[in-house]
Amino acid sequence: MIDDKALLSDYLSESEELLESLLADLDSLASTSADSPDTNVVNRAFRTVHSLKGLSGMMGLVEVQMLAHDFEDILDDLRLGQVSLNERTSAALQEAGAGLAALVGGAARGSASDEDFERLHQLLTSIGLQSRERVKREDSALELLNLSDRERDLVTDYEEHRVNENVRAGRSFYGIGVTFEIGKLDTQYRALCAALEAAGELITTLPAKTTEPSLVAFKLVFATALKETDVKRITGPFGGRVTRLERSTWRKAGAALRAAGRMVPGRNANSREASGRLDALLPPGFAQESLQPLSPSVRVEMAQIDELSGLAHELSIGVEKLTAMAEEFLGAANLGARERFDLRFSARRMKREFLELEERLVELRMVSLAQTFTRAARLAGRLARELGKSVSVEVSGRETQLDKAIVDRIADSIYHILRNAVDHGLEPPEERRIAGKKARGKIKLEAALEGTRAVISITDDGRGIDQAEVRRRAIEAGLIAQDEVLTEEETLRMILRPGFSTAGQVSAVSGRGVGLDAVERTIYELGGELRISSEKGSSTRFDLAVPTTLVMMSAFIVRASGWRYAANVAQIIELLYLSPEDILGRDGKRSISWRGKTIPVIELGFALGLGGARLLHTASHHNGDERKEPATDTLKVPVLITSAADKHVAVAVEQFDEQREIIVKSLGSIGRRLKGVVGAVDLEGGDVALVLDMPSLLLLRSTRL
Amino acid sequence: MEFGSAEVDEKNELVSVLVFQIGGAAYSIGVEHTEGVVDCPRITPVPNPPDGVSGIASVRGRMTVVMNLGSNGSTEHPRQRLILIKGDAQLGLLADRVEGVRALERNKVRPVAHGKDSLTRQRARFDWPARSYFKGNGARVPILDIERLSET
Repeated sequence: MIDDKALLSDYLSESEELLESLLADLDSLASTSADSPDTNVVNRAFRTVHSLKGLSGMMGLVEVQMLAHDFEDILDDLRLGQVSLNERTSAALQEAGAGLAALVGGAARGSASDEDFERLHQLLTSIGLQSRERVKREDSALELLNLSDRERDLVTDYEEHRVNENVRAGRSFYGIGVTFEIGKLDTQYRALCAALEAAGELITTLPAKTTEPSLVAFKLVFATALKETDVKRITGPFGGRVTRLERSTWRKAGAALRAAGRMVPGRNANSREASGRLDALLPPGFAQESLQPLSPSVRVEMAQIDELSGLAHELSIGVEKLTAMAEEFLGAANLGARERFDLRFSARRMKREFLELEERLVELRMVSLAQTFTRAARLAGRLARELGKSVSVEVSGRETQLDKAIVDRIADSIYHILRNAVDHGLEPPEERRIAGKKARGKIKLEAALEGTRAVISITDDGRGIDQAEVRRRAIEAGLIAQDEVLTEEETLRMILRPGFSTAGQVSAVSGRGVGLDAVERTIYELGGELRISSEKGSSTRFDLAVPTTLVMMSAFIVRASGWRYAANVAQIIELLYLSPEDILGRDGKRSISWRGKTIPVIELGFALGLGGARLLHTASHHNGDERKEPATDTLKVPVLITSAADKHVAVAVEQFDEQREIIVKSLGSIGRRLKGVVGAVDLEGGDVALVLDMPSLLLLRSTRL
Repeated sequence: MEFGSAEVDEKNELVSVLVFQIGGAAYSIGVEHTEGVVDCPRITPVPNPPDGVSGIASVRGRMTVVMNLGSNGSTEHPRQRLILIKGDAQLGLLADRVEGVRALERNKVRPVAHGKDSLTRQRARFDWPARSYFKGNGARVPILDIERLSET
């Protein structure tokens, strides 16, 4: 049972999604041909149950965890081809899925009975029994592939099964050697995988040797019906070296394998008995129970909330204008005391309620750190076990609420620092004993609010960071001069420099310390700060200070009066280049003809209070020039069309820069009062671009709207 | 804390303030309000800034509202320092020079008399709030009231 209400709600919400996916996949398996279950569906169902197992284990729901484990075993057998599906097994799996769905909510709330668990356990056991009775070791085709012993050892049971399946399907096997630069590995590897998977099945990716440290090499095992020339064509752009993998004995052996065929369900008399037992166990109640939703919450895409926030913001500008008009009206109109009171009261209430609406919308995006912290603590424990260390993780502040986008972005950073703490920070038990510490290391994972920021701290009681060693390495790496004086903080921050590491040994867990620079960059991009403190021999502490709320936006960067500004793409209707002859009127009353109507044109620099209409003046002056020089590109004025108070306005800028996704950083309590600006964004080179709110900026400056 | 804007060491009756110079005049703030001092990055101007606000600068990943207590809000000094102020205001104070932290005996800190809140008025265009001051090198050095400054 989960006592913590917030945790219970998170668990139910997440497990509901997993169970929905599982039930859909089991339905899909039951409806397709039993001979050829879709491997993607089986794999996905396997992963889903695996996730549910992990999630339930984390919450201490041991019974659900064990049932999910049984379920996982059956799906594993299925994906390894050690059991094939028949109608009865599919139905039993569907029932078991529904039973699991019914039990999860009860187990989390503490209302499930032992009988419910036992009944589902029996059902899963009997499906498992049936599968075990079917188990017959497949003849392996792997031996027929031209792979080294070492490579063959790396192939998993599942991959071996896929080799056999592809042999049966009569496909050819290719080895594709590729070498990537480390920096481009992620994108190039993904692109190659996508290209291959569209043309066949990528069985496995094996490591290969390379002498160059900045490169990584792989050998991909690929099965396809395509010819070698086609495979070369696909892999050519990636520099792939293609070889056939079949040995000379291939054809004969392959044919024999194909002739042996699949294991056909029902061939074994015992399995029929097992099916009989299954029937007896199929319970009548599971499916009906699962009709009840697990959690009372509704899942909504973040984009929908963003859209709502955008709409609310637009409306709030209207409300602002309306209330200002009401005030004016109050002063001018000949109203009775009652009307005056009503109008003032209504206007103020509307404004207040709008503010509340906007605040509620921000709250909708907030999630607690509970799940991230629970996972992180579990991860630390597991890592410590793998490394022969012992650790206790103390968690506090898990109820701290942050924007979901921020939690998602910082989760990897938290895990990264935690991995470092377990791997590099904590000493092995023996070393700790010698240092007079308890053999069991301690890591504190804490979160607390600090103004508009949340500070997440990860503190270990390990060996600390050796500043002298950091300094020595920084000099060695040429990061600082021999005689450069650094403060304690500056020295510690050296470990955030790309490629810097004090880890004596490269470890499979934390690597060479690569990535702390990435952690800092992530935090920085979010408008946060990474702080380090450490005492040699006793502790290391990382503080991740991040804003609690975040607004992401697709923005168009423009230049005006020598500065760059970000305009919300959602507020831009069209981008144009105006020729001098397009601009009508004189200073202060310039307009253009757009979509059949005349609309005002205002220079952004002027709207920002940074200077007069230089751009438009130059352009229209040129227009009136008697020499009538042909308009050149340099005289074309970039203009964006936007709207303010339901009227279209053309805003002239010096230059269009580019469109990009930005994270809008808050300007704090003073900055919030700036009209026409909603925040700022960091640009390359330490520059800052203000994020403009076009309608309110234009309403502020222009009397013509 | 009687004066509200400076840290008092109760045992030694000391008040710690950070003293800095702007336009030849000395000012101070309680060290407990400060978060650090950095070289001032490039300041981006903001439209219709409130009195004293020079613009926005990005410091340690946070957008900082830069306030200039100098007379015209410009950034004429070649290497100005930015004193980072704690709190939701995300405020930074521009200084021509930061002299350092000074520990004052409590009885040296004097409240600004009622009606003379505008101690700094003669030296600056804007009325910077200060509720107390101390005498340094013969001149009155105001201890700025950060809470009220943040409400500017």
